[in-house]
Amino acid sequence: MKYQIVIAGFGGQGVVFLVKVLAICAGNNNIAFLGTENHGMSQRGGAVSCDIKIGDFKNPVIDKNQADMIIALDKNESLRNIQYLKKDAMMVVNADESYPEIPFQLSRVDVNKKALNGEIPIQGLNVYMLGVALKNEKRFPFSINEVKEAIKKINPKLSEQNFKILDKAIKES
Amino acid sequence: MKQTLMGNEAIAWGIVHSNIQMVSGYPGTPSSEILKTVQKIKDDLNLDLYAQWATNEKVGFEVAYAGAISGQRSCATMKQVGLNVASDALMSASYIGNKGAMVLISADDPGFHSSQTEQDSRVFAKFARIPVLDPSTPQDAYDFVKLAADISELFETIVMLRPVMRVSHAREIIQMDDNTDFKKTENRFERDVKRWAAVPRTGRLAQGYEQLQRIEKIASYNWEKFLKPEFKNLQGGKLLILTSGTADGFVRETLDDLGLSADIVKVIMPYPLPTKEIKNSIKNYDKVLVMEETYPCIEEQIASHKIYGKNTNTVHKIDEVTKERVLKALQNIGFYKDKNIYEAPKIDFGFEVPARPPALCPGCPHRDIYYSIMKVFKKKKSIYPSDIGCYTLGLAQGAIDSILCMGASVSMASGFSIANPDKTVVASIGDGTFFHSGIPPLLNAIYQNHKFILVILDNSTIAMTGRQATPERFHQAIDIKKIVEGMGIECLEHQYSYQMDQNIEFFKKVKKKYEQNKTPTVVVVRQFCILDNPRAKEFVPNIFAKVDEEKCVACDQCTTVYKCPPMHYNENGKIEIDPFLCAGCAGCLEVICPTDAFEIDKRDAK
Repeated sequence: MKYQIVIAGFGGQGVVFLVKVLAICAGNNNIAFLGTENHGMSQRGGAVSCDIKIGDFKNPVIDKNQADMIIALDKNESLRNIQYLKKDAMMVVNADESYPEIPFQLSRVDVNKKALNGEIPIQGLNVYMLGVALKNEKRFPFSINEVKEAIKKINPKLSEQNFKILDKAIKES
Repeated sequence: MKQTLMGNEAIAWGIVHSNIQMVSGYPGTPSSEILKTVQKIKDDLNLDLYAQWATNEKVGFEVAYAGAISGQRSCATMKQVGLNVASDALMSASYIGNKGAMVLISADDPGFHSSQTEQDSRVFAKFARIPVLDPSTPQDAYDFVKLAADISELFETIVMLRPVMRVSHAREIIQMDDNTDFKKTENRFERDVKRWAAVPRTGRLAQGYEQLQRIEKIASYNWEKFLKPEFKNLQGGKLLILTSGTADGFVRETLDDLGLSADIVKVIMPYPLPTKEIKNSIKNYDKVLVMEETYPCIEEQIASHKIYGKNTNTVHKIDEVTKERVLKALQNIGFYKDKNIYEAPKIDFGFEVPARPPALCPGCPHRDIYYSIMKVFKKKKSIYPSDIGCYTLGLAQGAIDSILCMGASVSMASGFSIANPDKTVVASIGDGTFFHSGIPPLLNAIYQNHKFILVILDNSTIAMTGRQATPERFHQAIDIKKIVEGMGIECLEHQYSYQMDQNIEFFKKVKKKYEQNKTPTVVVVRQFCILDNPRAKEFVPNIFAKVDEEKCVACDQCTTVYKCPPMHYNENGKIEIDPFLCAGCAGCLEVICPTDAFEIDKRDAK
C-alpha cells in the first residue's frame, strides 16, 4: 500500500497530534511510513502543515500532485495546500458554505459552527476531522479501532473524550 | 526493538545507546528535541548521565569537549547557526583531538524554515578538518550516532553528525537496540600538557601535521568501510548519481516515479572523501550527478569534467531539495526528457487565499510591549534593532528595523547610536538571548558610554524553541537586574500589564531617563510566555474580546500596528475576533482601537 496524506491547519489546532496518531497507527501495524512537519517560526496562529507517507517511501516530503488526501482544519489552509492533491484525490475540510468549488472529491463540514453551538469543544476539531476522513475516504489506510488505539496511546487521560468526538464525527458526516 | 520516533528522538536514543556520558548544547530549531529527549530517557530509566542546556553553543561545546578529553564519551547539540558560535572552540579542538568520543550534532535547516542562514555544516566540518556523517532518515540518524562515536574514538577526533530538518523533524519506525545497557564509565583526565595545552608555534604546528595525517587516514577508512562496498557491484554506464543525506531519498523516489533506473551511490561520510579512489571508480560512467544539500561539498572535492551538480548549474543551488528539483536536474543532464509530473494545475478560486505569515501568539506580552515602545518612541524618530527569538515576530507590527544574529541587538544599538546621533535607538532582546550573547556587548556599551535604550523582554524561558529553561528560571539568584547593576548602571524594572496604558506610562518614564542618561538605559520587562503552562495561568486575566461593529471604522490600526492573529475582516468589512484563537489576554481592550470598538466578550472562561 502507498498512501500520502497532507494535514493542514494553523498553530494551535492540533495538526501535529493527527500526524502522531497516524504514525502510531502505522507503527502498530508495522507498516513503513515517513512523516514530516512544516511549521516555520510561529507557534500559535501561523500556517502549519504535515506530510505523512504510508508505505515504502524514501523521503518524508509530499510533492505537488502526489497526495491521496488532505485533511484541512481550516478553509484557507486547505486551499493553500491544494496543489499537493493528485487527480481524483480527496479533500476533507473544516469550512463554511463559502468554500469554493474544487476539482477533487470533497468532504466539507463546518466544525467551527458546531463548536460555537456547543456541540463539540473546539479543542476536538482535529479529532472530529479525522473522523470525517475515516468515514468518507474509502481508501483510508486504517480502521476506526486502529485509530482509537493510537489516540489512547498518545493521551490515555483524554482518550474517552476523543473517542466520543471521533464517533460523533463518524455518525454525523 | 521497534519504536515510532521523530528523528531527534531517534538521535537521543542513539546517544544513550552509544553510552555517551555527557550531553551539552543550546536549543535551536531543528535540533532542540535531541537534548530534551535525552533528559527524558535519563529520567525515565534513571541513568547517571549529564544532559543539560548550556548558556550558549560555545559553552555547551566546551563542557562536552572537556568530558571527551577526560576520556568520557560526550556530545554537543546545536543548530547550524549555533555552530558559528561554537566554531572558535571547534576549530582549535579539531587540532587537539580527544580521547573519549566527541559527537558534534549540528542540525541544518535547508529552506530557511526557521533560520537566518542556510549554511551547510558539512562544509564547516571540512573547514575544521573533522569527519561528518550525513543521515538520510531518522533510522540513519540513530545508526550514525553510534557510528560517529566509534569513529571519534578510533581516530581521536571530533565527528560531526549533520541531520537536516527533514531528518530531525521526520518520523518513522526505528529499529533500535533491544536493551539499554548504559554504564557509567570511570575515565578521568590524564595530564598531557603538550597535547591539551599545545601553544603556537611548535606545538600547534605539530598538531596541524597530525591533523592532516588523521584526515587522510579517515578518508581511506571512508573508502574501505562505506564507499568501496557500494562501488564494488556497479558496472558503469551512462549515469551515476552520488547522493548524500535527504537528497538520497528524493533521488530514489523520483527515479521510481519516473520509471527510470540509474546507479546510485549514497555517500554516508561526505568529508573527508577518498578522491583518488572515487575518480578511479567513475571512469566507466559518461556522467556523474551529485545530489546533496545544500552546498556543493562532495561536488567540489571530486570536481572534474564528468561531475555535474550545483557548480555546473545542473542542480538547484539554494533552498530544499524536492522531487521536482531532482526531475529538473535529470532533465538538465539529459537523462529524462518527458514532462514534469510534479506540476499541479493552478486552480482559480475566485479570490486570493490570504497569507498567514508568522506572528506572535495571541496573548503574547511581546506584542503589547512593542506596541507601547512604538507609541512612546515614534518610528520616525527611532531605530529599533532586535534579536533572535519569538520577539523577532514583532517585525509584523513594524516594531523591528534590524535582525542579524544572537546578541547583535545590543552591539548594533551601539553602532546605530554612534552613526545616527539624531535618532533614539531602542533595542529589544529576550532573556535567553541576553544570557546567550547579550552581556559582552552591553558591557562594551557601558564602558564606551553609548547612548541607547535596551529593553530586555524577560519571560524566563527560551520560548521559540519549545520553552527550555533560561538560567534564572530555576536558579533565581541569577537575576538580570542584578547583572545589569553589577555592570555599574541602573536597571529599570517593569511588570508587564494587560492594561496597555500602564506599559505606555512606564516607557514614558524610560524616555525621561534616557534623555538624562549618558550611558545605555537598560530596562527589564517581566513577562510570561502564553504557552508556558502552568506559569502563564498566573498572569492571563481570561478576559476575552469582541468587536462592536457599529464602532469599527475599518481603519486597520489593529491589523497593522497591533497585529493579533484572531483579528480579521469579516464579510461586512468590519473587524471580527476569532473566538477560538482569542487567548483572553485583554491586551486590545484599551488604547489600541481609535474608536474603542473592542469590548469584553462575556462568555464562560475557557
